[in-house]
Amino acid sequence: MIKVLFFGPVAERVGKSEASVEFSAGMRLQDLRAQLQASYPEAFEIVCFAAVNGEHVLDMSLPLAEGNEVVFMSRFSGG
Amino acid sequence: MKDAVRIQQQDFSQDEEIDALRASSKRMGGIATFIGCARDFSEGREVTQISFDAYGSMAVAEMNRLRDEAITKFGLLDARIVHRVGVVGAGDQIVFIAAGAEHRAPALQACHWLIDELKQRVPIWKKEITPQGDAWVTSHP
Repeated sequence: MIKVLFFGPVAERVGKSEASVEFSAGMRLQDLRAQLQASYPEAFEIVCFAAVNGEHVLDMSLPLAEGNEVVFMSRFSGG
Repeated sequence: MKDAVRIQQQDFSQDEEIDALRASSKRMGGIATFIGCARDFSEGREVTQISFDAYGSMAVAEMNRLRDEAITKFGLLDARIVHRVGVVGAGDQIVFIAAGAEHRAPALQACHWLIDELKQRVPIWKKEITPQGDAWVTSHP
């Protein structure tokens, strides 16, 4: 399984802070995003960044692995 | 002693943080600090509280990275970063940054750089709670 976390305004639009997605061989970050975007289009309107296992990822073609923790995030507003 | 980089719900004491910074070196000739506070007014609305959500593990890792980068980039002797999460009342403290160096210029420059970079790079989100309703803040001026 892939553990997906949502925070702040994205979590509010998704309606939850966590989801589990079945991992499939060859799955890439862009595939996971497309799958979730289809379910939560309003949330993904504000998604700007992604992180895998706590590290920023710019390359959406990054291959995922079983057990990865993925976060789709909106622009930050701390401070 | 408390960690130099922290995310916490409770308020912080700038005196304690500065004491901890000063304890790290007697060569420190300049300390610059920044405290971010919760404004009670934003974009024409009264703000009673601000609620913060964070991707905690990544936020702390990124704040530690920022501290390390600032120490190297500005030749600091030490630096501390504390950010609160949870609900903060209007007028309360949100974030504390301190940069200590041999001289004032790098301390001041590092402090400014750290708060600007924190806003861009650390996964924390704020929601303003107002009598008219709540609203996530999506920009960071």
